[in-house]
Amino acid sequence: MRSGAEIPPEAETTGVELSRRDLIRAAALTAVGAVAGVGTVAVSRSSDGGPSPRGADSVRRLPVLETVPNDAGADPLIRMQAELRLAMAKPIEERRWSMVIDTRKCVGCHACTVACIAENKLPPGVVYRPVLEEEFGVFPNVQRRFFPRPCMQCDEPPCVPVCPVSATWKRPDGITIIDYDKCIGCRYCISACPYGARTSDFGLNYTDDTPEAQPYESLPNHEYGKSWSREDHGSPVGNARKCHFCLHRLEVGLLPQCVSTCIGRATIFGDSNDPDSLVSEQLRQPNQLKLLEEKGTKPNVVYLV
Amino acid sequence: MTRTLRWLAGAWTVAFVLGLIGLGIRMFTGERLVGYGSYVPWGLWVALYFHGVGIAGGVFVVGTIGYLFRLPVLRDRLPVVLWTSAAAMITGLIAIGLDLGKPFRAPFMFLTPNFTSMMAFNSWMYMVFLATLAACFVLHRRASTAVPPTDRTGWLVPLLCFGIVLGVAFPSQSGVFFGVVEAKPFWSSALLPGLFLTSAIAGGASVLLLILTFLPSAPETPAGRTFGMLRWTIIGAVVVYFVLEFGKMSIALWSPASHAREPVELILAGPFWWVFWIVHVGGGLLALALLWQGRSRAMLGTGAFLIALTFVATRLNVLIPGQSFSELKGLAAAFSHPKLSFHYQATVTEYLVALFIGSVGVGLVYVGLRLLTGFTITHPEKAR
Repeated sequence: MRSGAEIPPEAETTGVELSRRDLIRAAALTAVGAVAGVGTVAVSRSSDGGPSPRGADSVRRLPVLETVPNDAGADPLIRMQAELRLAMAKPIEERRWSMVIDTRKCVGCHACTVACIAENKLPPGVVYRPVLEEEFGVFPNVQRRFFPRPCMQCDEPPCVPVCPVSATWKRPDGITIIDYDKCIGCRYCISACPYGARTSDFGLNYTDDTPEAQPYESLPNHEYGKSWSREDHGSPVGNARKCHFCLHRLEVGLLPQCVSTCIGRATIFGDSNDPDSLVSEQLRQPNQLKLLEEKGTKPNVVYLV
Repeated sequence: MTRTLRWLAGAWTVAFVLGLIGLGIRMFTGERLVGYGSYVPWGLWVALYFHGVGIAGGVFVVGTIGYLFRLPVLRDRLPVVLWTSAAAMITGLIAIGLDLGKPFRAPFMFLTPNFTSMMAFNSWMYMVFLATLAACFVLHRRASTAVPPTDRTGWLVPLLCFGIVLGVAFPSQSGVFFGVVEAKPFWSSALLPGLFLTSAIAGGASVLLLILTFLPSAPETPAGRTFGMLRWTIIGAVVVYFVLEFGKMSIALWSPASHAREPVELILAGPFWWVFWIVHVGGGLLALALLWQGRSRAMLGTGAFLIALTFVATRLNVLIPGQSFSELKGLAAAFSHPKLSFHYQATVTEYLVALFIGSVGVGLVYVGLRLLTGFTITHPEKAR
């Protein structure tokens, strides 16, 4: 490196001298960078989701419970259960999972919230299905209604494109999932979700600050059909987590836990590609509401009001 | 000067030791003791990350333009500019690394990138930028002459120009990072890239000016061309930032039903009103006054230090208010837990780790100055 004293004094006043060659090379570098950037974004945008099983690999031949009567007067759970098994017999591309929540039937018991926590062994601070309460009207003409809020499984999920490592994607059946083995815990998806449907697992336990950890806290959960142990900071500790319509239960022909638990039969779930399913019937009701529809997310959870 | 430097060295040592304690807590407890949660998922460390990478871009752009225009002091200090820029970038990346839930999976960003994510795009930009810095550094060491600035391969100047493009691009992309999040009305604004770039230029020029005030260079006085360029760059950038910020806030307040109104009111009159009024506006105005006067190195250095430090508030005042309101009314009350709160308060652990991040940045710059210029705390007069 030369010192300033070696530089001719006149150089201080002559300003910059960029030769034509310098400019051409700089422009070439910039152009290469711009083309590479645009190209990589275009390729990423044209990719079609993650490595979900497709076609025949996704078909599940599950036994139909023939001894349980499924007639017109049957409990909606019986009907939904049977329709679920029929849907699972189709390739994943032909199913479309949707949920309808009838706010007129929801009594705000929070059973779905608690059942979800138990099913997915959610730690403190992680919740997939809180129940929002709304009070409207003017006293004495006031009313309350409840909005259980699972993941909306949006058709245009804002959480997916922001993931820097492709750890989350939308399956062909409409469920957006997270690969806990890939998620780096940046929480960009959490910020991007307008519904607040994603929460981060910060590694907390219910028995923190108590004399002894209880065995139930070390039990693995079985989300996505795998066994996840949170011990030793294992995933999903540090990851984003979300409702996945109990995908591990669907795979074995069981309804999502929140649906099974709903005492008022306020949550209807099923394959909206099947026009005869209960969920399709409900989706044809005119008194529908979709949360934050103006965000353009195209949610697959519909509320009846 | 020596006394000031020794005092600063003592303060740095204390900050570093406290920072190491914070780092230890972060390593052993993970993210249990942090103040951010799932509704405010980004806090102080993310603000430091954006401040760090902004300074990296700002230092490079301002310093390289000064070098290319052969400003005294800068014309023979290109390695200092390159090193300082790299140090700020590395500091920012340490900050975001410590913020990740799974920090050791950060390489996935390069192994399985998703370029529809601005985060992945930014990460690659940082790596290209660091590679450009390294290439410039090597080429400059081999340079046969400093005037006109060139080297045997003829690639130094083109690479510097390319680096300027990058140095403008990635701080702007930091604004895009937030701007594309439609879920947060306060963030979803085309003004953010401009705000982030302006903040980066102000911060970068401030760091460069602060360093130069510690590097005695005989011909340069506070009234000299380089100091003049830097101080007017800072003054200009700070004024532009204030104007843009006023525009963003006034639009939100003027509109009777703006979705961005609540965050702006939180900034101006919320529990952390002092971050805006005292740290950001007060610190900024004081710095402007000092830089405007600019009679001595101490005055310039203090003004530059104030901007470099207080402009963290520009990041915090975008980050936190944007996350502090739910689009779904009633979400905060639906399920109660400290990690499910829209109120963010940095914890002691976060502040300690912030000290670590800051002291690592300062330490890296000092090591660079020592290696490149012979600058020492005890004998600053020996520095070239």
